[in-house]
Amino acid sequence: MKIRIDHIAKIEGHGGFVGEIIKGDVVQARFMVNEGARLLEGILRDRHYEETSQIAARICGVCPVVHTLTSIKALEAAMGVEVGSETIFLRQLLMLGQLINSHALHLFFFSLADFFGIKDDLKLIKKYPAYTKDALAIREFGNMLVEKIGGRTIHPLAAEIGGFKKWPSKQILLKIKKEAEKVLPGAIRLGKLFAKLKYPDLQTNFNWASVTALNEYAIYDGAILWAGPQNEKTLPAAEFMETIKEFQVPENPQTKRSHVEEKPYLVGAIARLNNNADQLNPQAKAILDKAEISLPSENPTHNILGQAVEIVHCLEEIAGLINRYKNTDPDLAKNSPWKPRAGRGYGAMEAPRGTLLYYYETKENGDIKNCNIITPTAQNIARLEEDLKIWLPKLAKNTPKKREALIKMLVRAYDPCLTCATH
Amino acid sequence: MTCCEGCRVAITDLGERFLALAGHVIVGDFPFIQEHAAKKIFDITFIEGTPILPEQIEEIKDIRKRSKILIPIGTCATLGGIQEIKNYRGDKAECLRYVYKNVDQIANPDIKPISAYVPVDYELTGCPINKEELLKFTKKLLVGDTPKIPQRPVCYECQLKENECLLQGGLPCLGPIILAGCGAPCPSVKYPCDGCRGPLQKVGQNFDNLKKILQGHGYNQREIEMILERFGTKDQINNKFKTQNANVKTTT
Repeated sequence: MKIRIDHIAKIEGHGGFVGEIIKGDVVQARFMVNEGARLLEGILRDRHYEETSQIAARICGVCPVVHTLTSIKALEAAMGVEVGSETIFLRQLLMLGQLINSHALHLFFFSLADFFGIKDDLKLIKKYPAYTKDALAIREFGNMLVEKIGGRTIHPLAAEIGGFKKWPSKQILLKIKKEAEKVLPGAIRLGKLFAKLKYPDLQTNFNWASVTALNEYAIYDGAILWAGPQNEKTLPAAEFMETIKEFQVPENPQTKRSHVEEKPYLVGAIARLNNNADQLNPQAKAILDKAEISLPSENPTHNILGQAVEIVHCLEEIAGLINRYKNTDPDLAKNSPWKPRAGRGYGAMEAPRGTLLYYYETKENGDIKNCNIITPTAQNIARLEEDLKIWLPKLAKNTPKKREALIKMLVRAYDPCLTCATH
Repeated sequence: MTCCEGCRVAITDLGERFLALAGHVIVGDFPFIQEHAAKKIFDITFIEGTPILPEQIEEIKDIRKRSKILIPIGTCATLGGIQEIKNYRGDKAECLRYVYKNVDQIANPDIKPISAYVPVDYELTGCPINKEELLKFTKKLLVGDTPKIPQRPVCYECQLKENECLLQGGLPCLGPIILAGCGAPCPSVKYPCDGCRGPLQKVGQNFDNLKKILQGHGYNQREIEMILERFGTKDQINNKFKTQNANVKTTT
C-alpha cells in the first residue's frame, strides 16, 4: 500500500509525506520538504559580524528572535564577549515573547482544528469566538513585547553583539508586565482546553534533548540534557553540537536529518517538559497536573499540550523577571566593550520548536570564516519519520481519508518549521 | 515559494483586522489557516518568496495564469532577498558544496525576483512587508482604486519620527536612496537602513552623494557594496544607474 500526501497545510513551509507498507512492514516513511536550499551557511561566509545575525534571522519569519539571539550568542562566544546582566535580562524577555507568539500561532491556528475535524480555521474561529479572542490576544501580546524591546515583531533589530542598540525605558517594561498579567487568564483558559483534549495514543520509545539549567526553566542558556529511557547525559552546547551527526537522504537531499549516537531524537516543548517540568511556574504546573499525562512522556502529540503549558509559564515568568529587575535603571545599562578577533564559538537556545544551535569561526577582523546552523526541525524530522513508521501499521484499518487526517495531525503536533529545516 | 514566510506571518498578525477583511472576500488559498484551497482562480494573488525548486518555477507560471492581479510581496519576491547574496559571490556551486556533502539533485539556480519569471501587476516590498501598508493597499484594490506607493525615501519617515540621523552620525545608512513605506523601524532603534525595500525609482544624484558621504566616513567601495548585496538591492541600483545614465546621454 502506498500513501502519498502532496501538501500538508498549516505548518511553516511546504511539505508532504510519502509512505509505503508491504505485507504489514513499513518500507518507507519519508517527510518530503519542498523548500529550496537558500544556502545560509554558504552566504554567511565572509559577511561582516554586524550584519550576520540579521541575515541569519531571515531563516525564519516565525522564530526570528531566537535565530538573531543564538547567532549573536555564538559570535560573542567566538570573540570572547561577556555581556552584562541587563543584556541577559532583556534577551530572556525577548525569548519569552518569542515562545509566546510562536506557540499561540501553532496551537490555535495550526493544531487545534485537528482535534475537532475542522479543515478551515475561519470555521474554527466562528465556532469558538471566545478562545479565538484569547489566542489572538496572547499572540498580540507576544508580538508587542518583541516589538517594544526588539524594535520590530518580525526580524527584530535592537539586539547586537555586546548588548543592545537601543535600551527600552522603565515605562515600557512596566507596560509589558501589566499586559502580561492581563492576558494570563486567557492563557490559562486555553491551557485548560488543551489539558482536556484527547491526545492520540502514540506511545513510542525515544530520546529527547533540551537545554537545562540549575536555577530556572531553561530557555536562554544552559547545558544540553540528552535523555531517553535507557540513558542520559548532560553536555555543554559546544560538545553536544559536535556530537550531532547531520546526514542527507536521497529522496529529499536539501533537508538534512540529524542523529545522536546513531539515533533520532526529539526536541521541543515535550523534551523541555521531560527535562525541566519541576521548574515550571505554579499556574503552568497546575495546568500540567490537570492533564492526564505522566512525564517523561514519549508521545510526541503531547508537544501540543507542552506548548499550552509553556505559554502560561512564560507569562508568569515575565512578571517575575521584571519584578526582579525593577530597580534596574535602563539609562545606566551599558553594552560590554569588545573587539573583533579570530575565534570559535557555539550558541544554543530553546527555540519554540526545540534546541537551536549555532557555530561560528571568525577571522581576525570578526568576519565569518566558517559556520554551521542546526535547527530544531532539522533534528526532529528523523524522529518524526521514525514515529510515522511506528504509526502507519496502526493506521492501516482506517479509511484513507481518516488515515491522511491522522498523519497530518501527527506532523502538525511536531510543529515543524520547514524554512528552518532547509535554510 | 522559498523564503522565511515572515510576510504571511505579518498578514496573520493583522489579527482581528485580517479576520474582518476575510469576512468581505473569499480567502482562496492561504495554507496558514486552510487545509485545502477554496478556489482555483483568483482575483488578487499575493505571493511571497523566490522560486528555487524547478517545481516552484513551474508553479509561479501556473499561478500567473490563474490570477487576474498578481502581487509579489516581500523582499524575496520583489528583489531576491538574502538568498541572492550567493549571486553576487559568484561561487554558487562552491556555496552549495560548502553546505552539502552530496550536491546531486539540489536545485541551485541564480536567485531572481518573481518579475523575472512572469509579468506582475504591483509589488509590495520589505523584509518583512509592512502589514499596515498591505492592508491599506488591499482595501484600495478592493474598492477599485489603483494603489500607489509614494516615491519617498526612508529619510522622510525617519524624520517624521524625529530620529537622530544615523548617516550624519557616521553609520552606513541607505535611507536617502531607499523607498519608504516601512515606517523606518530600523533607524528608530539605531539600526541603519540596509535597503530591504529596494531603491527609489529615481535614485539619481542621491546615490553618488550617499557614496561620497559614506566614503568620507571611511567606508570603502567593497563595504558599501556588501550592504547593497544584503537584500538584493545592488543589481537594482546598478541597472537603474545604467538606464538613468543612458537617459542623460540621450537627452543631452
